[in-house]
Amino acid sequence: MMQEKRTIKVSKQKDGYGITFNAMACSCEVLIQTSDKNLAKQVGLCVSDEVWRIEDKYSRYDRQSICSQINTSEGRKVSIDEETYLLLNFAEQCYQLSDGLFDISSGVLRKVWAFDGLSCECQHFPNQDDINNILSFVGWHKVIYDRHSITLPNKMQIDFGGIGKEYAVDRCILLAKQLTDKPLLVNLGGDLAVTGPREENQPWQVAIENPKSNKPEKKQDMIIAINQGALATSGDAKRFLIKDGIRYGHILNAKTGWPVAEAPRSITTVAPQCIQAGILATLALLQGKDAESFLTEQEITFWARR
Amino acid sequence: MACIGNKTNLKAALSIATSALLGTSVATTSQVQAKDADEWQFDTAYLLYSEVDRVTAGEAIIAGTKTYANDEILNLKFTVDALTGSSANGAVAQPNAQTFTRPSGNGQYVTPAGETPLDDTFQDTRVQLNGQWTQPLVENITGSVGGHFSKEYDYLSLGVNGNLAYDFNKKNSTFSMGLSYFHDIFTPEGGIPKPLSSMLVGDSSSPEWDSEFAKTRVGDSEDKSTADILVGFTQVISRRMITAFNYSYSMVDGYLTDPFKVVSVLNTEGLVQDNIYENRPDSRVKQSTFMQAKYHFDEGMLNMVADVSYRYMWDDWGINSHTIDTRFNIPVGRASYIEPHLRFYQQSAADFFKPFLIEDQSSIDFISADYRIGEMTAVTVGAKYGVVLTGGNELSIRLEYYHQMPTNSGFAEPAALNGLDTAPVVDAIIVQVSYSF
Repeated sequence: MMQEKRTIKVSKQKDGYGITFNAMACSCEVLIQTSDKNLAKQVGLCVSDEVWRIEDKYSRYDRQSICSQINTSEGRKVSIDEETYLLLNFAEQCYQLSDGLFDISSGVLRKVWAFDGLSCECQHFPNQDDINNILSFVGWHKVIYDRHSITLPNKMQIDFGGIGKEYAVDRCILLAKQLTDKPLLVNLGGDLAVTGPREENQPWQVAIENPKSNKPEKKQDMIIAINQGALATSGDAKRFLIKDGIRYGHILNAKTGWPVAEAPRSITTVAPQCIQAGILATLALLQGKDAESFLTEQEITFWARR
Repeated sequence: MACIGNKTNLKAALSIATSALLGTSVATTSQVQAKDADEWQFDTAYLLYSEVDRVTAGEAIIAGTKTYANDEILNLKFTVDALTGSSANGAVAQPNAQTFTRPSGNGQYVTPAGETPLDDTFQDTRVQLNGQWTQPLVENITGSVGGHFSKEYDYLSLGVNGNLAYDFNKKNSTFSMGLSYFHDIFTPEGGIPKPLSSMLVGDSSSPEWDSEFAKTRVGDSEDKSTADILVGFTQVISRRMITAFNYSYSMVDGYLTDPFKVVSVLNTEGLVQDNIYENRPDSRVKQSTFMQAKYHFDEGMLNMVADVSYRYMWDDWGINSHTIDTRFNIPVGRASYIEPHLRFYQQSAADFFKPFLIEDQSSIDFISADYRIGEMTAVTVGAKYGVVLTGGNELSIRLEYYHQMPTNSGFAEPAALNGLDTAPVVDAIIVQVSYSF
């Protein structure tokens, strides 16, 4: 994967500045309510550096990343630092809370499930033997880790894709708060968080893209007002498979090795922190047709698209 | 369909997991999660300390910590100690049996020939309550205030403390300062013995006993006050190393004598003629310096965390001591660790320490034969094993052996003491079980 150009663009907006950059294969944005351009630039640099740092450290595509080091360790123990340990611990909690449905070692299943939005009607539907074969390399409970190291069984892989971007949003909010008290918003490809309400206690208006719509004027059909906390969206309507009339999304059930059937195309949830919102949305998608009732029972505010 | 937790647990569990990941407090997340912040974190421990043939102490602790919005922390700790067994009364062993009067004046006990005199009436229960409130004051400055209450049958201790910590250099450096003040009141059963007076021995059931015993007493209670100043500096050296330096100055005023301790008065042959109550100065100024380094090794060294510290203490009683304490925390597997511990302690004797007094020696003001302020070397070896259980609760067990060796700091022993153990060693076993939930 070619690395995107690492520069930031600062632009004046109605009541502040916007900073845009590319990272983690998406467009990223910081909005800050200030008239101080230097401050805006300083915050922009701080946020973008942090996002790129996390990308470099945890991308499974980057061969230098700790993620790749772990995935190519062939069963050997790999030293990890505190941050990695904390992320693994978080993944462990999610694994436990979802009774194994959410599993950061499930990425190898992509070897048999090639999602392609354009050729939606199944062309390479795997057979059960292929799935069973690859399933033997899935299972977070087989991973041994502690505060200082991780040992991944040979041929297993982990991937921080399910939590990395949301984690980056939360980290950026923490760092930006150290630089300024001005209201700001960090948006990494739709997963976003704010430091608090805008001036005069006004909420931020956030538009959520409709992935189904190809008309630019209708693309953003959902506006959410957010005062505090974070929003995350899980699901990707462009990537799915249809077999025997059943639509399978790209979210895979780590226990069966199958994509989850009849899940909403996407779910957006709110939570105090972005990583929580992201996990809640993903856990809901994993419930398939019961996604909405799952969130309702948990008393979580959400928007689902079917 | 998989069952994911119960209704409220998922959100609560996720917000706790998130706060652990991001290092933020659960309470600051939002009002939605306010309920989770109401939960207390508890630590419990039971400790057993047992000296061979002497004192056995059991201690139970329950401590609760609650974090409020804005990183305010309330910590409450409740401790109960129970002490039973025998403690050296200060007198020396003799080639013949010796009789001593109990500190209360009610009855006597006999120490067989050749044995270290031990007062076997040691029995006490102590209840202790500590509370501490910590909160950020302004950016980079954290303040803390606390109170202490402890009560035994014959002892009451009250204390207050206040601390300030200032973080700078991107929070890699912390400067802290603390003050504390304690006031203790001592009301031993049988009253306060008259310093340097002879221990009355005789028939405690005789009609004159009580009035005779009262002549060796100077009152019912005594008190002392302690003021401490602590200055500390903590520095993060690298991601693997952290160091700390402390200096403390402590002033104690009041009754510092141990009313249960006596000193043997020997004739030139070494035979006991009398036992007199000890007497210590009514003030003590103690200073100490402390330095500590923690280093987190990499995989080649088992990912071990080494914690090494050294303390030097000196006071105006002439005692100075060195303490070297080392711990090695070694992770074992996914969720457990083992922590070997080695501690070395050496102290010199107080100026007025004498294991015994020879008759007709020039007059004395202060004297004590309490081995705890004599010259000694002590070693502690042990290990702790801890395991994080499913659900995140931690269980640990600690087992240690303590060996204390008093040394003679140049006192010539008269003939009658030859072959007698006048500086007995103390051996103790310490077992502690802790559980955090």
